Amino acid sequence: MKFSRRTLLALTVASVMLPAASQAADSIKIGYQLPLTGNTAQYGQNFKDAAEIALAKFNASGQIDVPVEIIYEDSRSDAKEGVTIARKFVDDDEIVGVLGDFTSTVSMAAAQVYKRSGMVQLSQTASHPDFAKISKWQFRNITTQNQEGAVNAQWMIDQGITKVAVIAEQTDWGQSVVKGFVDPFKELGGEVVYTEFFNRGLADFRSIITKIEEQKPEAVYTGFFYEDGAQFLKQVAQLNADIPVYSTSAAYNDKLIELAGEAAEGLKLTATFLPTRTDANVTEFVSEWKKGHDNAPGQFPAQAYDAVNIMLAAVAKAYPDVTRESLRDAVAATKDFPGVTGNTSFDENGEPLKELTKATVTGGVFVEVK
Amino acid sequence: MFDPYFLQQLAIGVSLGMIYALMAIGFTLIFGVLNVVNFAHGEVYTIGAFAGLMAITAFAPPLLVVLFIALAAGAFAGFGLERLAFRPFRRFSDEASLKSRAMREATLMSSLAMSIIAREAMELIFGSQFQSVDLAYLINKPIEIGPITIVNGDLIILGITLLMLAGLQWLLKKSPIGMSIRAVSNNALGAKYCGINTDRTIIFTFIIGSGMGALAGILVGLYYGAIFPAMGFTPGIKAFVAMVMGGLSSIPGAVVSAMILGLAESISTSFMPSVWSDMVAYAFLLATLIFFPQGLFGARRERV
Repeated sequence: MKFSRRTLLALTVASVMLPAASQAADSIKIGYQLPLTGNTAQYGQNFKDAAEIALAKFNASGQIDVPVEIIYEDSRSDAKEGVTIARKFVDDDEIVGVLGDFTSTVSMAAAQVYKRSGMVQLSQTASHPDFAKISKWQFRNITTQNQEGAVNAQWMIDQGITKVAVIAEQTDWGQSVVKGFVDPFKELGGEVVYTEFFNRGLADFRSIITKIEEQKPEAVYTGFFYEDGAQFLKQVAQLNADIPVYSTSAAYNDKLIELAGEAAEGLKLTATFLPTRTDANVTEFVSEWKKGHDNAPGQFPAQAYDAVNIMLAAVAKAYPDVTRESLRDAVAATKDFPGVTGNTSFDENGEPLKELTKATVTGGVFVEVK
Repeated sequence: MFDPYFLQQLAIGVSLGMIYALMAIGFTLIFGVLNVVNFAHGEVYTIGAFAGLMAITAFAPPLLVVLFIALAAGAFAGFGLERLAFRPFRRFSDEASLKSRAMREATLMSSLAMSIIAREAMELIFGSQFQSVDLAYLINKPIEIGPITIVNGDLIILGITLLMLAGLQWLLKKSPIGMSIRAVSNNALGAKYCGINTDRTIIFTFIIGSGMGALAGILVGLYYGAIFPAMGFTPGIKAFVAMVMGGLSSIPGAVVSAMILGLAESISTSFMPSVWSDMVAYAFLLATLIFFPQGLFGARRERV
C-alpha cells in the first residue's frame, strides 16, 4: 500500500513534469507577424487559420521529436508596429524564423530588422519587386507580375493572339502588371495596340471598352482586382464587345463570378491555387479549411498554408541543429516543394519559382485549363 | 465625325449625365430651400440602394415595388436627417440667427458628421465590399439601336428623370406645399411672417429631396450592379459640381450641367487617358465659375 502510493506519487509528478520540461526546453518557436485587427484583419485572420491547420498537421506527423510552436503577433498592417514586432522576435533567442507580414509595406519595414539581426523572413503575400532583394534573409511565397505576365503572354501566343489591348489600374501594382506582360509579349512577336490606366473603383468602363473595340484587338489583358473586374466584365457583355479577356491572379475570387454572373464566362487568368483541383494535398487543405469556414479557401490563405509548410519542412530538414542560420539555409534550399499552390523552389534572391495554373470561368466556376 | 464610335461615346455620355442629373435634382432642391449644402445626400443615396437591396434579398418583389421601398427609405432618412442635423440649428428664429453665417456653417458640418456616421455604420454592418445583387434585377440588358448599344436601364433612368423633373415642376408651381417651398427658398423670414409654417416646409423639402436621392441610389446601384457603403461619394461630388455649374438653386440648370459633365467625361476618354477625364469635368466647373460666376442658369431671380 505504502509502496504503491509512493509509486503513484512519483508517476503523477513525472507525468506532470515531463511534458512541461520537454515543452520548455525542446519546442522550436517560429514567429508570425500578421494583421489580426484593423482594416486588413480579415486577411490576417485567414492566414492564422491556415497556419493552424498546417501546424497541427505537422506536429501530428511526428517528423521531428519536438513540437513546433508559432507565436502570432498583431501588426495591424502598420509599418511601425511591424518593426516593433520584428525587434521583439529577434530579441527572443528561442525564435528561429519568422513568417509574414501581409502587405509589402509592413514586410519591407520589418525586413530591415531581420536583415540586421539575421533572421529568415518568409512572407506569404508581399509582392513588391524589391522585397525579396533586401537581403539573403527575405523570401516570399507569391509570384510577381513578371512571372504572371510571361505566362499570360505565352498563353495568348499559343492561342494565336498577337494583337492585344492592355488596361490596368493606376497604381504601382497596375504598372507592374502592364510592364510584366508587355515586355515578354513583344519578345514573342506580339503587338500591343492600346494601353490604358484607370482609377481604382471606376464605376463606368464603357468609354474605355468602346475605345478598346475601336482598336480591334484580339484580346484584352487586364490588371484589376475582382470588384473592378466584375464591373468591367459586365460592361463588356453589355456592349456586346466580343473580346476574350485575360487577367491575373488578383482577379481570381469567387466573388467575381457572383458579382458578374454570366458576364464572367470565358474569363481567362493565371492563378497559383484552385480549390477545385483534385490533388490530394489540395483536397485535404480544403476539407480541413471548411471545418471552420463556410467557403472554400481563396488564394491568400492557400499561400499562407504553403508558406508555413515550407518553413516547417525547413525546420525538419535543419533538425536537430535548428539555428537561425541553419534554418535560413534550409529555406533557401527548398526545391520543388509540393504545396497547394503548386511546386515551389526559391531562386538566389528568394523569389519563388512556381508553376502557375491557368484557369477559365466555365459554368460559373473557375476550372483549370490543361 | 459621326461614325458609330463617336455615337456610342455620345450615348454613354448621355447615360452618365442622366445618372448625375438624377442625383443632382434632390441635392439642388434641398440647397435651394436652406442655402446649405447637404453633405449627407450621398449617404441617403446609399441608404436607398441598401434598402432596395435588402428588399430584393428578403422577398424578391417586382422592380417597381423595390423602387417604392427605396423611395420610402429615403424619405424616412431625409426626415431623420433634418431632425438630427438641421433642426437643432434652427431653434433660434430671430433675424440675426437666421442670417448668421456661422449658423449655416454649423449646419454644413453637422450634415457632414451625419454622413460620416451613416457611412461608417453601413461599413460596420455590411462590410465595405460590393454586395451581391440578384443578377435578374440588374437593369443592364443591352438594346441595340443601329450601330450603338444602350441598355434598358438608360431608358428607365431617362423616364424617371423626366418624370421627376416634370413632377417637381408641377409640385413647385401648382401645389400649396410646393408654393410654400418656393416662398421659403426665396425668403425664409418673409415666408414666416406671412404665416407659412417654415419648419413643416423644410421637412417636406427634405422628404422629397431625399426620396429622390434614394431612388437615384437604387437605380444606379441596379444599373451598375455595384452596391457598397462608399457608393454615394463620387456621384455626390458630381451632383455638387452640377449644382454649382447650374447656378446653385436652379434644378433645370443642374440637370443640363449634369448632362454636360457626363458628355465631357465620355468624350474626353477618346482623346486622353481615362484617369484624366475627371479633370475635364472640373475644368468645366472652373470655366463656368470664371466666366459665369452666377452659374449657367443662376442669373434668374426665380429660385428652385
